[in-house]
Amino acid sequence: MAAPQKFNETLLLSAFCSFNQTLSRVSTDMFIEYSEEQTMLRDSAEKYLRDNYSFENRQATVKKSAGFNAEQWQTFADLGWLAMTFQEDAGGFGGGALETMILCEQFGKYLVLEPYLESVVLVGGLIEAGGQAAIREQYLSGLIAGQLQGALAYLEEGSVGDPLQVQMRAESSAGGFLLSGKKTVVLNGPEADFFLVTARTEATDQSSDQGISLFVLDKNATGLSRKNYKTYDGRSACELELINVSVGPDAVLGELGDAHELALPVFHRAVVAVCAEAVGAMDALMTATVDYTKQRKQFGQPLSSFQVLRHRMADMYMEIELTRSLLMATAWKLDNSAPDAAQCVSALKAKMGKAGRFVSHNAIQLHGGIGTTDEFSVGHYFKRLAAIGLMFGSRDSHLSRYNQL
Amino acid sequence: MSDSIFRSEVQAFLASSLTPEIKRAGELMTSVFSDFDAGLAWHKILYKKGWVAPDWPLEHGGTGWSLSQRYIFQEECKLANAPALFALGLQMLGPMLIQCGTEEQKQQYLPRILSGEDAWCQGYSEPGAGSDLASLMTAAVRDGDDYIINGSKIWTSYAQHSNRIFCLVRTSKEGKPQAGISFILIDMDTAGLTVEPIVGLDGTVEQCQVFFDSVRVPAANLVGEENQGWQVAKSLLEFERGGHNYAIDHKKQMAKIRRQASSQYSANRVLWKDNPVFSAKFADVAVDALALEFTELRVKGAFEAGENAGPLSSLTKVMGTEIGQRFNELSLEIMAEHAFVKQLDALTPSFEGEVIGPACGLTTMPEYINNRSATIYGGTAEIQRDIIAKRVLLL
Repeated sequence: MAAPQKFNETLLLSAFCSFNQTLSRVSTDMFIEYSEEQTMLRDSAEKYLRDNYSFENRQATVKKSAGFNAEQWQTFADLGWLAMTFQEDAGGFGGGALETMILCEQFGKYLVLEPYLESVVLVGGLIEAGGQAAIREQYLSGLIAGQLQGALAYLEEGSVGDPLQVQMRAESSAGGFLLSGKKTVVLNGPEADFFLVTARTEATDQSSDQGISLFVLDKNATGLSRKNYKTYDGRSACELELINVSVGPDAVLGELGDAHELALPVFHRAVVAVCAEAVGAMDALMTATVDYTKQRKQFGQPLSSFQVLRHRMADMYMEIELTRSLLMATAWKLDNSAPDAAQCVSALKAKMGKAGRFVSHNAIQLHGGIGTTDEFSVGHYFKRLAAIGLMFGSRDSHLSRYNQL
Repeated sequence: MSDSIFRSEVQAFLASSLTPEIKRAGELMTSVFSDFDAGLAWHKILYKKGWVAPDWPLEHGGTGWSLSQRYIFQEECKLANAPALFALGLQMLGPMLIQCGTEEQKQQYLPRILSGEDAWCQGYSEPGAGSDLASLMTAAVRDGDDYIINGSKIWTSYAQHSNRIFCLVRTSKEGKPQAGISFILIDMDTAGLTVEPIVGLDGTVEQCQVFFDSVRVPAANLVGEENQGWQVAKSLLEFERGGHNYAIDHKKQMAKIRRQASSQYSANRVLWKDNPVFSAKFADVAVDALALEFTELRVKGAFEAGENAGPLSSLTKVMGTEIGQRFNELSLEIMAEHAFVKQLDALTPSFEGEVIGPACGLTTMPEYINNRSATIYGGTAEIQRDIIAKRVLLL
């Protein structure tokens, strides 16, 4: 696929620009319009999932011990979705944050369980960004073909909400390294063929962004053990314990001690991915809530005729649209290396945290009891939004990062 | 006896009577319900002590405690992690029978509620009658000395553990919908009655749907007159709303948040001590909780003075549940990804294995999930606000 012409840039109304300049340092001089290829990607993903990813089948997968449906994953690969955002020299189609957004929005809408975020956005993104030729060769084509699964192990006991809080040490040993320590809530861990693990290779402070390295570890590495489980939102995850796991110097991904710099853009992409998923999920909740309140009658009239509920749904709608605007702008800014892209990432994650709660809480509230049951999809969107709201930093941490940037 | 002496007496009793497993059930509560067996074991201990029904009149098995003693008792139980009692018999049906039951009904049922022999569930809501409860359709048709009941009840909490159910049924289609409703007591083992569990979002079963297929019930099981059930139920609903001390729940939640935020697991580690944003958010909810606590005490005072707390019970129900939900959200923010781990077995009091991740975050996600229903059950937050608008503000 040729690199698409991503946006027609036009100036917004000058009045809006001047209003905006007084309030924010974030530049808003863009207008978003999908390219033909992007529209096709969105439509084909929507159609495939609508026809092939029913809520009932999804729940059947959740109840199995495997974390996702391997046949679906293979189809995602065959459809080219896994390759979409890798560069052409890596066997990809050269898509960016915008293509990530387009796919993940549909994944959110259909509550897709398959580990696109974990294997492609995070692990694939990190290997593409920093992997030496040998590592790229060993893993990238397998990831893109759907034959390999990866998992990023970065969370530790005291590090939730802050990926820099790395305690795990990698000691130099005989030209290589010895890794010992524990990682927690490694998403997609039970399915992973290999892990990317963060560890300190320098005696830097526990919260320093310097001296952290990324290691590629095979799941069968001696001294590595995992404890698998399911998460409340229906995914699989594991605890990882490393006891003197020995690796050679070639297991370091990117430059030694530079994992933070390497990972930052990948985390930004991941925030776009989960927020797109959230927008898709919120859209699904909005549709379900509007439909349900039109159909459900109490006091002799449909719930949708009660003003308090109509206003609530109008508020839900506005929260979703505001989040969508930030999402599209952030994806665009990341793809264009805009100077304020990082600030937009934090604005987006903070906004999503608030909108996700408001929309999911009210979707359940307006459905009443039925919304609190396992049988009905509404509550599953709610649980996924709760998880997304906490991943890669909460609303509060992104609000303060927004202020600092 | 002074309140402080009374409090020490309660504390001493709790220290000696709460077994580790019963206490564990209290710690592991993820909704208003506790593990049924552990709750029942605690019920029996309280019964033996004579403290199982402090809100009942002395002559029927109450304790004769003052209002403030009853509050202290509830507070100490909660903070000592005593599990909640499955309270529909104690909190709702019992007081109602004392008020409107026949002598036979009182003699037959009250002692069995006190002893824990009977577990009562509540059959009010129906698939088509939620907020609009008066539109309920489950029909009771008179046949000689019996009623024949057909229909279905839903959101029947712990029906799977109950041996009896009190129901609102339709005995007449004449006049206003409220005018044709009767209140009736039914044995769960009666032929034609079946219970289907409803799996909740945390993966456990608290709610059920109950089906009635020509269930034959003696007419003597009617409470109050035929077609007077709505009045009976209305006074009970105010018990349900006003009888609960939300402020005590909030204190348990706040204690838990303090523990979580001070632990090495809290997001960014320094969340509690050095994070002004989080501290301000916590204080914001805590102040509302304090204001609610004083409001609850006002309501109780008014009730004790013989006033009808009716509409004020709507206030405490809305605010109590919404504040509780805000605390759930704060907890979730502290534990962040630690709360993702689903380990339902570790939430049962008899579990002896190893907990994955921090034990202080074990209940965080299921509490957050389950507590969304708090603003739905017992009259939704929207219905309560309507009651305030209509009956207090006379809009």
